[in-house]
Amino acid sequence: MSAGRRRTCETTPGARPDTVTLVRIQDTARVSQAIQTLGVGRSLDELVDRLYVLSEGSLELDRATLHRIARGKTRVARAIDTPEACIRLYFALMILGSEQDLPLETIVREGRAVLAGLVGDPLATLIVGDLERTLPKLTDLRTLREYLEEALRIWLPI
Amino acid sequence: MATDLIPMPRAESNTLRAQEESLRAYLAERLSIRTRFAPLSDVRAFLVSAARPDGPKGLVVDASTSVAERIYLYVHLAAHVALRHNVPVMTVVEPRGEPTTDAPIHRDAEELARAMWWGVGGDSHLGELLPSRRSRVLRAVLASRVARGVLRTALVAMRHAYYRLHMGGALAESRLTATLRRALCVTAVVCVAPQLVGRRTTSSR
Repeated sequence: MSAGRRRTCETTPGARPDTVTLVRIQDTARVSQAIQTLGVGRSLDELVDRLYVLSEGSLELDRATLHRIARGKTRVARAIDTPEACIRLYFALMILGSEQDLPLETIVREGRAVLAGLVGDPLATLIVGDLERTLPKLTDLRTLREYLEEALRIWLPI
Repeated sequence: MATDLIPMPRAESNTLRAQEESLRAYLAERLSIRTRFAPLSDVRAFLVSAARPDGPKGLVVDASTSVAERIYLYVHLAAHVALRHNVPVMTVVEPRGEPTTDAPIHRDAEELARAMWWGVGGDSHLGELLPSRRSRVLRAVLASRVARGVLRTALVAMRHAYYRLHMGGALAESRLTATLRRALCVTAVVCVAPQLVGRRTTSSR
């Protein structure tokens, strides 16, 4: 564990030590840009509320944390310190983008930038590629959910 | 996450069940495939894989599939894995009908699954587990759709007679019983997957 990670842990009392270091934002500037693009026209407070609702309460980003991520000021955030949280943030931000009537290509591109920023570009490329290939083959929502659950378990094990 | 309970769709022969369990254990131990069952209305199964060939894999099978169908799916998916159709990060989806996309890879897997099923190619460890290995006579008989149906009916009738007449005590350990059990298992699987004895055609479905 690097000294930087230890310092981060010390500044986030209460966080579970086994999950805090699993995910780090690898490209803070790009993630920041993507969040600003996908959340265009919304204040940070609105974004925090909407992300909370979209993730059914599982993505509890506080305003200060989101502000730091959106400004590219932090590489570690307690609320997205697990792989599941990364995927939730990825999907929630893409939904946000679609609510803003952004072009589809922009949503996909920026969503992917968020995912790549969180889990690394090679894995993000593979995941996005498999999603694009597999989703058209699944016509039932229940199957889709099973696929996403299984994918999350296999691709981003805790 | 969906439940990990293993629902059994209907009364099935114990031989088939045991076969299904041993194949499922094989997938877990040798291929790192964890299998679970869930209601899937649009597909029969899908296999999600990690980026590395030896990484973990998750197989989700429709809970309503019969034990014989599951056995076929395990062999077919083992063929996909042997051919590395699943890496890096390629989800293999088994549709309910003919595959509309990825037809070539399913065809290749079908070829290999057929060789594995009859013990004439592919994974020898898996071949050792299969009741069908080197069953030349059975393979020839099951190639005919009519013969398949007749044989299945006859074997099921014999099975009913075996239990109704309480012949278990005298014949349980006999070679004849073992052979008939094996034949029933192989016939049941080939009946749900006739492509195992030849190219899949609409008429044989």
